[in-house]
Amino acid sequence: MPDQEKEKPAPAAVATETPAAPAPPKPASAPEDAGQQYFFGEPLVGFDPSEITGSLVVIEGMDGSGRSTQITLLQEWLESEGFAVQTSGLRRSNLVGRDIDELLAKNAVTRLTLALMYATDFFDQMEHRILPALRSGTVVLADRYIFTLIGRGVVRGINRDYMSGLYAMALRPHLTFWLNVRPETAFGREFRKAQAISYWEAGRDMSLSHDLYWSFIRYQTMIKREFEVMAKKHNFIELDGEASVSAVNKQLRQRIAEQLGIRSTKYTPSSALSHLWR
Amino acid sequence: METQDVVQKPARTEPAKSTLPQPGRPVPSRAYPGALIVVEGTDGSGKSTQLYLLKRWLEIGGYRLHFTEWNSSPLVKSATRRGKQRRLLTPTTFSLLHAADFADRCERQIMPLLQGDYLVLADRYIYTAFARDTARGCSPRWLRNLYRFAPVPDITFYFRAPLDVAVNRILSGRPKLKYYEAGMDLGMSYDRAESFRLFQARILEQYDKMVETDNFVVLDGTIPVNKLQKQMRDIVASKIDLKRFAPRAEAAE
Repeated sequence: MPDQEKEKPAPAAVATETPAAPAPPKPASAPEDAGQQYFFGEPLVGFDPSEITGSLVVIEGMDGSGRSTQITLLQEWLESEGFAVQTSGLRRSNLVGRDIDELLAKNAVTRLTLALMYATDFFDQMEHRILPALRSGTVVLADRYIFTLIGRGVVRGINRDYMSGLYAMALRPHLTFWLNVRPETAFGREFRKAQAISYWEAGRDMSLSHDLYWSFIRYQTMIKREFEVMAKKHNFIELDGEASVSAVNKQLRQRIAEQLGIRSTKYTPSSALSHLWR
Repeated sequence: METQDVVQKPARTEPAKSTLPQPGRPVPSRAYPGALIVVEGTDGSGKSTQLYLLKRWLEIGGYRLHFTEWNSSPLVKSATRRGKQRRLLTPTTFSLLHAADFADRCERQIMPLLQGDYLVLADRYIYTAFARDTARGCSPRWLRNLYRFAPVPDITFYFRAPLDVAVNRILSGRPKLKYYEAGMDLGMSYDRAESFRLFQARILEQYDKMVETDNFVVLDGTIPVNKLQKQMRDIVASKIDLKRFAPRAEAAE
């Protein structure tokens, strides 16, 4: 995927009143242009990117960075502002979401097969969930995106170019947030959730340590390093995931409001979600 | 076919590091002691019959071999079936699901067997994906990257039969064509037989393009079965040092 950062419009340049379009519309552009402008490298078969009227907002970050909490809150805020919202996330496709769950549970899969199953899951959601929503003007909140999937493959020794080539037809997000936390903080948060750390969260398949804590820390640190590389390359908006839920949420709302042309970013969660507001 | 290009592989030694598929670079045949023979061609080109006869010849001779087919792994079977039944598959997900299936077979069967000094016979290989998925509109560059982890075959036989011959063989023996098999997802025709024909024509065109770039050994799928098999056996014997796969003397009882 050469030269992709060149075409990426700087997020800071997005004016308040700009409607949610990825870039100045260039109808009838050659497929090569569309591949670079709207996608990470190659156009997706059978899809015309100029039909996009919605916005794709990606929230990335390790387990325990607060992604899911923030997405739940953002959905409520956006809906209260009158925007239709669709969410997506890993292993949620109708095609192979459950199959991946089974493979993970049985731990009977090699790294490459798993990476390709995740890619299948991703593109099934891209084609059947994300793109139809974007075509109808919906705001898509993606709980993780290709960056997590690329990072996981790379730390397992799969060639970086191979992994990014796999996702060449992924749509470029309008905004990509990275909730950056220290692995130590993430460990505590994840442990409190389930009173345990799962095999895959701790990267146990990589034989980094027999000690679950150190396995988690080493694995998440490796992933974090990959994120640092991608953050520069793909203009991530990095937020301090160690800050309070309300502080992180405020920053998210400000950037999203700019993107969507929402004037007010005032928000207090409803009583149903107030337990998340700490 | 000349006899001088017999695959001469170094004596077997413990590999210095893992030669399991490393996505990102093709696995050359000198990286492992075994040998890989692949057959490719459109449906109805006669490749499966010929590979079966080659396999029988080698089995009867007592050679160490393993036979593998495209799309046979239990891993993604349920997903493939679901995707096909509910017609959820797009060109991209169709391609990825088959790649996942192939990766599983590659990492768990093909590479360990090649490493373990076996002759591996494959009925269809990555070229099937290149031909079929390109015919569906996938980017050739993306596809080449997708399968970069696959070992390069020692011989790739391409059974070439004229479109009419191949299509008639299938239509006469298998009247009920399945949706994806007939390429109905491409929307070229409402008639399954006609759609199948148009789809196969596109695939044939893609195969022909790979003859040069991927060193296919082209065989004429229209000549009599036994004559064709004779050609195939001669080529295998001339290109692969079969003695290496013969029963080991010390193992005989």
